[in-house]
Formats: sequence, structure tokens, C-alpha cells
Amino acid sequence: MQRLSLTLMGDTMMEQKPRIGVYVCHCGVNIAAVVDVERVARAAAELPGVVVARDNTYMCSDPGQALIKQDIREHGLNRVVVASCSPRMHERTFRAVAQQEGVNPYQVEMANIREQCSWVHRDKGRATEKAGLLISSAVAKATRLEPLEQREVDVTPGVVIIGGGVAGMTVALDVANTGLPAYLVERQKSLGGRVAELNRTFPSLQPVSELLPPLIARVQDHPNVTVFLRSCVSQVEGYIGNFEVEISGYGETGTPVGGDPGSKSDAPRAGLSVGAIIVATGYDVFDPDRTPELGYRDYPNVITSLEMEERLIRGDLTVDGRSPERVAFVKCVGSRDARVGNSHCSRVCCMYTAKQSRLVREMLPEADVTVFYIDVRAFGKGGEEFYDEARSQGVRYRRGNVSEIYRKRSAPGVDGGLAPHAGAGPVVLVAEDTLLGQPIEFEADLVVLAVGMEPRKDAGVIQQLLKLPRSADGFFLEAHPKLRPVDTAMDGIFLAGCCQGPKDIADTVTQAKAAASSALIPLIRGSVPVESASAVVNEELCAGCAMCVDVCPYDAPTIANLWRTSRINPVLCKGCGACAVTCPSSAIRLQHFTAAQVLAQVDALVQ
Amino acid sequence: MSDQACEAKPAAQLAAASPEPRFEPKIVAFLCNWCTYTGADLAGTSRIQYPPNVRIIRLMCSGSVDPTYVLKPLLDGADGVLIGGCHPGDCHYQSGNYKARRRTIALKEILRSAGIDETRVWLRWISASEGQRFADTVTEMTEFLREKGPNPMRTEWAV
Amino acid sequence: MALKTQKLTEQLELFGCIQCGKCTGGCPVARKTTLNMRTLIYHMLVDADMDVDAHQELWDCTACFTCVERCPKDVEPAELIISLRGELVESGRVPETLGTALMGIFRQGNPSGMARQDRELWAEGMEESLERAKGLASHAGSAQEECELLYFVGCIPSYDQRIQPVARALLRTFERAGLDPGTLGTRESCCGNEVRRMGEAGLFGMLVEENGELLRGVGARQLVTTSPHCFNTFRKEYGLDGMEVLHYTQLLARLIEQGELTFPEPSEARPGEHRTVTYHDPCFLGKQNQIYDEPRAILEAIPGLKLVEMDRRRERSLCCEGGGGRMWVEGTNLQERLAFQRVQEAAETGADTLAVACPFCLLTLEDAVKVQGLDEELCVMDIMELVDIALEEDLDP
Repeated sequence: MQRLSLTLMGDTMMEQKPRIGVYVCHCGVNIAAVVDVERVARAAAELPGVVVARDNTYMCSDPGQALIKQDIREHGLNRVVVASCSPRMHERTFRAVAQQEGVNPYQVEMANIREQCSWVHRDKGRATEKAGLLISSAVAKATRLEPLEQREVDVTPGVVIIGGGVAGMTVALDVANTGLPAYLVERQKSLGGRVAELNRTFPSLQPVSELLPPLIARVQDHPNVTVFLRSCVSQVEGYIGNFEVEISGYGETGTPVGGDPGSKSDAPRAGLSVGAIIVATGYDVFDPDRTPELGYRDYPNVITSLEMEERLIRGDLTVDGRSPERVAFVKCVGSRDARVGNSHCSRVCCMYTAKQSRLVREMLPEADVTVFYIDVRAFGKGGEEFYDEARSQGVRYRRGNVSEIYRKRSAPGVDGGLAPHAGAGPVVLVAEDTLLGQPIEFEADLVVLAVGMEPRKDAGVIQQLLKLPRSADGFFLEAHPKLRPVDTAMDGIFLAGCCQGPKDIADTVTQAKAAASSALIPLIRGSVPVESASAVVNEELCAGCAMCVDVCPYDAPTIANLWRTSRINPVLCKGCGACAVTCPSSAIRLQHFTAAQVLAQVDALVQ
Repeated sequence: MSDQACEAKPAAQLAAASPEPRFEPKIVAFLCNWCTYTGADLAGTSRIQYPPNVRIIRLMCSGSVDPTYVLKPLLDGADGVLIGGCHPGDCHYQSGNYKARRRTIALKEILRSAGIDETRVWLRWISASEGQRFADTVTEMTEFLREKGPNPMRTEWAV
Repeated sequence: MALKTQKLTEQLELFGCIQCGKCTGGCPVARKTTLNMRTLIYHMLVDADMDVDAHQELWDCTACFTCVERCPKDVEPAELIISLRGELVESGRVPETLGTALMGIFRQGNPSGMARQDRELWAEGMEESLERAKGLASHAGSAQEECELLYFVGCIPSYDQRIQPVARALLRTFERAGLDPGTLGTRESCCGNEVRRMGEAGLFGMLVEENGELLRGVGARQLVTTSPHCFNTFRKEYGLDGMEVLHYTQLLARLIEQGELTFPEPSEARPGEHRTVTYHDPCFLGKQNQIYDEPRAILEAIPGLKLVEMDRRRERSLCCEGGGGRMWVEGTNLQERLAFQRVQEAAETGADTLAVACPFCLLTLEDAVKVQGLDEELCVMDIMELVDIALEEDLDP
């Protein structure tokens, strides 16, 4: 079955004598500054089977690709080895190049001499030596590479979106507007997510009440959107194009909604077949209990920025029935702070603090409004202008990271009692004004802690369910920060919004729209390529012991034929190779990672 | 076997003490494409430096590491073998890392009874986001093997 | 003396600093002297040389480590101060009183320069209890003399007449709880916690080596100290593997929780004491070792005692200015002592007793109470003393 298709791929020679071209990339200076690329190319030319070996400034560039194509034609190459960046970066590029010239894409091998060599070693001699070894390993493997068929499977139209905030709703609408079904799963009893807790947006100062309810209505009224409230995704099986997703009730069996991580779910509520999954699970707000020096638990007039939003919605800024005369904002609470495990910048606090401080100035024109900051990061369209406006309206910016908040006994409003902190009255912000170079004590009636965003405490549940990696900051990891920012390591699963990292509403919507269109590509195309590097059984060696059946997580092998030997369904096989290692008769071969190929690599590396 | 190990040790100490080039162990690493290999890439993009003693072979899953993949380099003269897989619960193929763990335990037993120093084989869980951990592991393993000295098992065996 | 900054900057990883000012902002002495660790770090980052002599305010630091605890970038500003002090010590430019204290430690094993053979005078009247201690001291290192619990008394409790009762109270209480602690007797030397923080790395290294050998030789399972300062260095800087290092408040809280130490309920015949107590968190116990709950648990277990809190407590406790060698050097601002401010804060709670769990805090705060004329309203006592009083009636009905 496999062999028949090979001719279709334009690859006519099964037992071809290897004719290998080796291409060593300089990657500008990224590789060439450490690895002697010319020397390793010369050495590669001497390896058995290598017909031509070259080095070039950028192999991935058009001239670089043209070079390979020309060599394939002129030298009759049937295998290509590219020594450059990680295959995770450009394997697709070079496979396409080979395919265009009639070489089977699976007869391309890459040697990772950038991420795993020139970027991690400084000793030029040893890095060059290592690059040479990695190239001979790639050549050894290439020599034994076999052409493989590229298969496609049909997809199930439809997308499951986890999380009903602004990101999830945006995705749902985009998907639904193409005519495909969108299933929006939300744990809470209503849509809207965190944005529902906000007052106005920056930099337009548009009320959230003008933005969110219409969006929610459009989602709920859309004929192609199915909304599951108080629900969660409880099980996921399958792969890109064909996922089986189980939806269960959430928080109805006595567990509070939005409660503890991994909160128990109810019985299955629906089983959905979809082609893609979008994760839009959002973030947690930092709890300033973890910065006890700021006295959040001690003083009722020290509040979080989210509590400030709520006060702004109510239009009530009073403290103990009086209008505050001095309002202070403290930035970077729970952000840029390695102590609390959040080294990242939360990206929104500078702007929402500018917004809140402006609104306070408007509501209380007599009040002194002071913002304590480390750096002001007013990036984004209209950001710096908005910050300019805040200052021009009289918001004072003082540079200094507030170190402590306490209350003076002698402060007005405090009378007697054994526990002065339990009462009201102004508090004192202890900081250094770093531009003056002086420690200061700043009295304020109301203090707003600009709390940052952090990964959800229950992110591990989705992580395990979908096998999604997370970056060092704890947010979900995109496939590539620049080139594949909404993709994940798992084909068919995409990220939208703050579950990938802190974002404002504008960036969240942008990413949600990107995730929707990326997810829709295979769904609209109608089919997706599936793993070609599957395992195959040599039925002459197979004894029919069925150990492969036991070990396979995907039920790909079956023992059903006349001779009671194993046969692996190539569509179900994901190419993990567990069966090949387990098979006691060595009857199973994992294509593209065969024992012969791997051991040849070992030989080349250990020599 | 133990005699050989005893002989190897002073040689290593000598190498460390003298200005002669110190002993550079050869490490062959079999890394899962989804976690440790990506973690090694992250070490690269983050420019985290580690010794060039490790030579990486990319596999799709730590669960596909055949015992011969580990045996052959050790018999051919590699000084150590590193297997990198996903953290428990994070396997891209559901349970390949558990298979790798069980297999490695059994393999170490076999190595021990065959008189091969099983501490030369390391199995580590390193995720795609743990570039630092990958670099630290390679550094630690290189130091460990440098201390231990060259693998005395270099033979003409064929597997 | 010009110091080349680069090496030290790299060694202490100061490059992480973003100049946010959280260190100086929270520094208790920065507000009263010219000490500014943010600018010190900045000079280290941007200047090739530093004239360390010009920074006499380096001696103002109390090593409370608030700056280290709060730095968002894991820079350790106080370690820079310790290193810069080290440069001054190296070249012999040390305040005279500090030099005397260091010499005393070098010669007699204590900063007061008191005779080593007098180190056990604290236990006057408790000679019987010390029998075992003496045995240990002379046999330290021999396997037969192993003891479970070793009590490290510390220099101030050994020699200072105000603190000696604390050590006696501690020994009595342990015996009441059925414990059988040993001590190192006259072989006990200064733990070196302050020595390191004064910048005398060489002497500190020597103490670690000698004390470490002695302590390991005893083979105790637990090591308990009177002072949070000794506790801190034994716990973090000695590498005493296999030995559980405890401050006495931890051990007491544990004994109370496990029911091995109980206080007699007040009765008509023995009404006991009614006190309102506020507790001052010592920097070396609280901020630096996160021990906040145990001292409070002890106080709350004492019948008739009411605990009230100051506004600045736990992570925000105000330093008494006794650490980091400041017991032996005045610093550049004598007038505004933090301890003065602290006892005012304590008095404002309405408490009649200010409880502490550190010999240095006890001395500085008691002194401040007298200077501030608060002695009618407020008495300063160690938790150990309060426990001893509460148990006393139990012994002598």
C-alpha cells in the first residue's frame, strides 16, 4: 500500500543509491561567528554518499533555496541535508523545497547547528567540531531515509472554544460567521470574563457597558454558536481535524463556581466532534496577600485596582464617608517581582493606572493624585498620548517602588483602641523617591495597588487535558513567539488572550481573531496532513503476540487478519514508536526513526 | 571490571590536576521532540551556555528509546547517555515517558549485571520551557562524567 | 581607598538591579542617615572605582535584611554592604569600638572580651543542671556523650546580667518539659553571625570551622539557641546537615502544641498575672526566617495574658537597630534611635509589656523605654521570662 503511493509522490527509485547534498547555513553571523562553516562544509563533502556540500549566508532565503533546487537538478540529488537552525523552525521550508524538485520531503534531514550549537557554545574549535559531528549524524541518517507518503484525512468542521471572555467570544463569532459551528464553554454562569468587572477601557475611555453587552448578545443570538455555561471540558481525544471533546457541568454539585483548581465537574453533558480547539482561559489577578509589606489585608483603604474599577462603576470613592484628599497608586504589585514568582511585566497596569488616575482627577478635582512607578510603559497605539494626558490633567508621577505601607498612630481619625490598624484613617507609603534620591513618607487616604496578571492557578488542568506546554512564566507556550504566536506544540490547538500572557483588550481581540483564522485554515480546506512517520509491521516476522496492541495509546494496531498478525492503521498511528520498542520479534519499524537510522546516527556521533 | 574502574580514576584525577587538556566526556542524548528537544532549542534562543560534550539525536518520544540505542554508544565508547522526556502527566503520546522510565529501570539493572556502570545513563524530565534546566543537566552530567573518567567499556562489539 | 567595582559587581550579581528604590524605601536607617543602598549599587554599576572610605554610613546598616527580603529582582543589597565593610575591615579602617568587639571575639570568644572561663556564670544557682553540660564540653566528640538536644547559650545571654535570667529561664523550662539539654560550657564561642555582617569574613570563617567541628562532634539531633542571630547563622551559614537548628520559640511552641508543656490555670489561690502584651518581631527571626506565628502561639497559650498587635508587625516590623554589629558601633545618627520610635509604638497599643524574643532587642528596647521615660507604663521582657513566670507557681505551690 505504501509503495504504490510512492510513484504518486514523484519518487521513482526505491533502492536509489544515496546522492546527498549538504548545505551549511551561516545564518548571517548567528552560526558563522562561532562555527567555521567553510571547514565543516569541506569535511561534509568527504562523507560517503555526499555529492555536493556548500555553505551559504542564509539557506532559508530565496537564493539559498534556489541553490538547493539547482543542485537537485544538476547533480541528481535524492537526499538533502541542511545544517542550520532547529528543524522546529525550518524543516517545513526545506521539505517543500525538495518536494518542488521531485525529491520526497521525508528525504530531507536537518542538523541543528544553531540552537543546539553556535548559540550555546563559545569555544569556536569545539563548536566547529560538534557541528561537524551533527552534520555527519544527519548525513548518516539521510543515507538511510526512505521516501514516505504524505497522507491527508478529512476534518470535522467545528471549533470548541474554552473560556467565554472577550477572547473566547471573539473567536466564537469569527468561526460562526464562516458558517461553521462554534461551541463556547464557560465555567461561570454568564459570559464576559474579567472584562465584565471593568469600568472603562483605555485609551478611548469607552465604557465597558457599551462594548461587552452587545458582544455577549451577538454571541448568544448567533445561530452557529452553542454556549455551554457552568460547563467545562472534561475529556479530549483525537488529533487535528478530528477531536472528540466531552463537556461536563461545572460547579453545580456544591462546588463554588470559579472555586478551587480542578473543581469537581458533574456528569458529561455533551460529546462534541470538532476539528480544532481554542484555549481562551484567561488569567488570575495577583492577590496582594503575597506582598504583606503593602498592608492590603490590614487597611480597608488599601484596595486593588480591580476593587477600584468596581468603585468607579459605582462612582463612589469615599473612605469612611469622606472624599479622599490624597489618592496614591502603587504600580508593579505582583509584576516584575521575582519574589512572588512573577518576573514578567503585566503590560496593562501602566495604562489602566493612567486611566484610573485620570478618572479620579475628574471625579475629585481637589484631590492630589500621585502614581508611584518604576518605569512607565505606555506602549501601543495612543498609549503615550494617553499618559501625556494624565500628566497634563495634574496626575503626579513619582519614581519609586513603594516598599511598605503602615498607619501612624497619631493619624487623624484614629482614636484609642488597642488595635489601631483595625480602624480607618490615612496610611503612610514608605518609599524612596529615586529621582530625588531621598526616602519619603507619603500620606494617603486611599491607596490603589495596581495588581498584575498571572497564570490561572488551575492552568494545570488544561495543561494536562490538552498536553499543552507552559513557558517559564507559567502561561501557555506558543509554538514560536514570532512566527507561530497563536499555535501550540499540539496541532489543531490554538491560544487566544491572556492564557498565553498578559494582554490588553485590543491585543486580546487581535490574537483571538488570529487564532480563529489559523484554526479555520484546515477546516475550510477540508483535510489535514497526518503523520507520515507511522509504524509499520513486517508481517513475516510478526508472531501475533499483541504486545503492540497493549502498548498503543491510540488503538492503532489490531490483530484481525487471517494469519493473526498485527497490522497498524496508519491514520490512527501518531508515530510515538512505543510498539516498535516493545515488539519482541522486532517486527515493527517506526518509519523515519528506524533503528537502523538511529544507530547510524550513534555511529556517526561516537566514532 | 572493577579493576578497570580503579585504573580509570587516577587517570581522570591526573587530567584534572595537570595543565594537559582535561578529559572531555562524550554524551549521546536521545531527546523527545515535544519537550526536551524543544527545551534544548530554548536554551539556544536564550543563549544559555553549556558544555559542547552533548550530541543530540531527536526522537519523537522518550518511550521510543530502544535499549540498543543506549547500549551501542556505551559499547562504542561514549561516556554517557542522556534520555530526555516529558514530565509525568505531560507526555505528548499519553504515557511514553512512563514507558521510558520503566524501560530505563530495567535497562540499568541489565547494565549493572553486565558490569557496565549504570550511572552513566541518565533519564531526566525536561519540559519545552526548561531551557535552563536542560543546560544545567548537561553541565552537571558533563562534570559528573569528567569526575568519573573515560568509559572503560570501549569494545569492538556490534549490536 | 579606591575599590575596583567590577569583580564585586559580578560576584554579587548586581546587574539585576532596576534601581526601583524598594530597598532604600524600606530601609529603616536610610530615613535617618545618608545610607542609600540603591545609589551604592548604582555607583557599583556605573563607576569603575569606589572610594569606600568616603562611605562611613556603611556602618549604619543593622543587617535587618529588609532590603534583601523585598528586592523584586533577587539582588541582595545588604550583601553589598557586608562586602564593602569587608574592604574597610581588610585595610584596618574599622570604628574603634567595633575593633574591640572583634578582638574580644578573637581572644575570648565573645564580643565583650570577658574571660572564656567565666562563660558559664549565667547558670549561677543552677550548677546541678549544668553537670551534664560540663561533661559534654570536656567530652565533645566522643560517641558516648551524644545528647539529643544541644542548647547554644550565646555570648550576650552568657555574660550580660540583664539577659542571663533569660538563659536560666530557658534551661528551667526545658527541664520542666522533661527535656535534658546539654551545652558546650566554656568551649562555646561566639556564633559569628554579627562578625560576618561586620565584614570580618576571615574571623567568621575561623569561627564556622571551630564551632562547626565542636557542634558536629556532639552529634546532637537538635540545636536550640536563645538568640535569633545565632539561630540565623547556624541555620543558613554553617552547613550543619542532619542537625535541626531551632530558635527556642519554635521548640516551645511545639512543646505547647504537643501538650508537653502546659501552663497552670489561674485560680483564686494563685491568681497569676494579668498582662497586656504586644510582641516585637526581631528581624533575624521574622523577616529573615519567617518565624512569626510561633512566638505569638506561645504568648497566646499563657493564661491571663492578652496579646495586642502593633501596626507594624510581622513582615513590617521596625528594626530595633541592634543587629549587624550595631550593638558595638553607634552609627552616624545617635539622636533618632529606631528603638525610641518602636517603644512609642508599643506604648500606643496600650500594652503594659513589650515582649521580645531576642537578646539584642531586649537590650535596645529596654534602654529606649528608660530614655523615653516610659518605664512606668511599659516593661520589656523576653518571651522566655514570661513563660518562666507563668510556670513558676507550678514548681513552688
